[in-house]
Amino acid sequence: MTLQFLVDLSGPLVMGILLGGLYALIALGLSLVFGVMKLINVAHGDLVILGTYFGFFGMTGEIFGHRLTFLGIDPIVSLVVGMPLLFAIGFAIQKYLLSRAVQISMEAPLIIAFGISLIVQNACQRLWTPYSRGLTTSYALDSFNVGVFNIPLVYLLDFAGALVVMLFLREFLRRTYLGKAISAASQDRGAAQLMGINTGRVYAYAFAIAMATAAIAGVFLGLTFPFTPTSGVSFLIIAFGVIIIGGLGSMLGTFLGGMILGLAQTMGGHVLNELGLPGAATGQYLILYIIVLVVLAVRPQGLFGR
Amino acid sequence: MRGIIHRLRGGLIPLIALIVVLAVLPIAGAPRSWLLYLLLFFLYLAMANMWNLLCGYSGLISLCQPAFIGLAGYTLVIWAWHGLPIYLGMALGAIVAALFALLISIPVFRLSGIYFAIGTLVVPEALRYMFLLWRPIGGSIHGGGAGYVLKGASDFSTAGVYWLGLGIAVASALCLRLVLRSRLGLGLAAIRDNDRTAGSSGINVFRLKLYSFVISAIITGLAGAIFYIYQSYVEPNSAFSVRWTMILILAAVMGGMGTEGGPIIGTVIVVFLHFLLARYAGISLIIQGTLLVIIMLLVPEGITGFIRKTRTYRYLLQLATMRAN
Amino acid sequence: MPEETLLKVSHLDTFYGSLQVLWDISIEIKQGEIVAIIGANGSGKSSLLKTISGVIHPARGSIIFEGKEITTLDPFQIVALGISQVPEGRRIFPDLSVLDNLILGSYNHRARPKKEQNFKMVYELFPILEARNNQLAKTLSGGEQQMLALGRGLMSETKLMLIDEMSLGLAPIVLNEVYKALRKIRERDITILFVEQNVRRSLEEADRAYIMEVGRVVLSGDVVDLREEEEVKKAYFGV
Repeated sequence: MTLQFLVDLSGPLVMGILLGGLYALIALGLSLVFGVMKLINVAHGDLVILGTYFGFFGMTGEIFGHRLTFLGIDPIVSLVVGMPLLFAIGFAIQKYLLSRAVQISMEAPLIIAFGISLIVQNACQRLWTPYSRGLTTSYALDSFNVGVFNIPLVYLLDFAGALVVMLFLREFLRRTYLGKAISAASQDRGAAQLMGINTGRVYAYAFAIAMATAAIAGVFLGLTFPFTPTSGVSFLIIAFGVIIIGGLGSMLGTFLGGMILGLAQTMGGHVLNELGLPGAATGQYLILYIIVLVVLAVRPQGLFGR
Repeated sequence: MRGIIHRLRGGLIPLIALIVVLAVLPIAGAPRSWLLYLLLFFLYLAMANMWNLLCGYSGLISLCQPAFIGLAGYTLVIWAWHGLPIYLGMALGAIVAALFALLISIPVFRLSGIYFAIGTLVVPEALRYMFLLWRPIGGSIHGGGAGYVLKGASDFSTAGVYWLGLGIAVASALCLRLVLRSRLGLGLAAIRDNDRTAGSSGINVFRLKLYSFVISAIITGLAGAIFYIYQSYVEPNSAFSVRWTMILILAAVMGGMGTEGGPIIGTVIVVFLHFLLARYAGISLIIQGTLLVIIMLLVPEGITGFIRKTRTYRYLLQLATMRAN
Repeated sequence: MPEETLLKVSHLDTFYGSLQVLWDISIEIKQGEIVAIIGANGSGKSSLLKTISGVIHPARGSIIFEGKEITTLDPFQIVALGISQVPEGRRIFPDLSVLDNLILGSYNHRARPKKEQNFKMVYELFPILEARNNQLAKTLSGGEQQMLALGRGLMSETKLMLIDEMSLGLAPIVLNEVYKALRKIRERDITILFVEQNVRRSLEEADRAYIMEVGRVVLSGDVVDLREEEEVKKAYFGV
């Protein structure tokens, strides 16, 4: 009986870890911004979804209900344009909006990010309709077997993507001048300025990099799940949960936090299934939210937090 | 001239006159569309006053208000489903909202600032998913989800709901004023300035914030219940939607947080925007979002803050205080 | 070779909000000097340094460095021009290694090509830093952190080093090491302006000094002369 139990578990286990990769990928940008600027960007989820829609546009060429059929680029390939685009948007948001907001009051960045969130959501609705979409590429429906379970191939891509981006960010922060400047500015902004670091510009770059990451996360999200213009909030909450669990500002911690959250979700869903309770898809979101609330209540500094 | 200024400072008499005028409108034959816009104004004002209490005076950026609104609405609907009187259902809705606020405060109050904001963001979302899955009453529907019609809503005339709305708006303003003039209000002012020093001078920070939170839940819940009497159906996606929060933030920021008059002006603008943007429903969020960003950056104290800085206001204030001497 | 004026501060008035902390301050630093600004807590000496390095902007007055007006520039621009500040409390980056701290010192564009040379200089002056190269800065002792802070300042291809309250929390032995290093730094033609509370020691190490009280310069001159000044003796040496 135990062997069967373990075999049964292997599916959710693997799925949890791989799916956790997607959650980590989404959360990396949020974690970077928080680590550097002590700012939680509540528009993060919506900006990720914006990235998803850029991928959607590249793939289907659909905009305002018209179809530009000469497009038809694989979403991952379209990141070549999507990433610089979101990079620029992120740079502008930090440089012109958030940097001013921080000086106004404690609530101002939150409210401005909220405003940005509304703008992005509405824009996506107008450009690409409110209907549920998916990035249905040729490989989007492939799957492979683990035990008796079928695991979608895209989950594996999610994990790989998260690993690559996490490692890249970590090395960037450690080895490059700009990366070190970002770390320094997050530890002591004043001292960083005395090094000759233009901290205002460094913050803008950090935010821009976070947004470029969001573009990547958006594409992988679209490959994995259906999405609508209002999906952003759910993923903001998930990303927040990830960085709370994994420790704020640490790239590796965020990565692990994603795994943990993914596992919690799939294991929880598995248990629910075994108990015969309904509502698989929606229920899993609910499980995630409850986990986030519990973690917030019990240990807001996270498992790896300082 | 002096007499007018004196009465402006007096404040109470014109206010009562205004309320009477508003109350009489349905009888005086005002068109239904006016009444409905005013109803929205009353309900939003009640909620905005409460949000002001939380954010402007207690330092709590609560994104949790939709939870109170939706829960009160559902309580009302479930209550009425069993044939019980709607007035009681309203009261029960407010009580449920208050109890829920108490419950939620346990995890959420351990957080502060942005953590608190996101913690409160999770709550209505979780409720939304919960009610999408769970049908508390009625037969099962394909696809699940708890969308219901409010039984007995048709017993209410437009005037009836209108007067309920007026009532809750006035109640919210009174409540705000009472709180601010009480010891609770003093404590909150201290907390708003500095959480920690307030705590070390003996103020039970947690308890005061809890009072604000629960009070806001009660009135917001009542306003929500009245809204659902007007709308006469409830469904999870709109009941717990972030659009409620958006309206409140917009009203508070544009009107000016931390002032008594702020929510009033802000709500006027918000309802006016509703009216204006009805034609541009497709991009109304873009416009409102942009307004929010611009106002927060350029005029963060809102219109009341802005007016206070203008010379006209200061001149009038000078005249009034001279008169008092 | 006549000594040129490197830094000229004229009639500086600086405020913290509505509180005035500097009143009509004028000082002059010449190339190759070691100048001390001495005063008790609250005398405004740190504020003066912060005004020069651009952290605060004065309400009135001007600051001219190498003939250029730098009064309203941002700190990072001033560093690029050749003024480095070793801040009060050192403020090294605790979670970065010694090496990374030093690398960050060379962030500005004039300093990057000279990185290797400056590393050599810093390691010669403070060999202990090379030994602790890969350690996190927060694990260093107080004296080592001060050396790291100075090393960081040196990495920036600096012409004028501003040092704020170097001796705080340092044991006398360590302090001697650091002052020795300062003299070697001056030999490399780097000008030093340091701010101190300890009058006696400052007058031993500097060429010239300004004495500040409550936001004003009350005395100034060559240290030889200052040591003989009656007022100085009375106020600070209890004679």
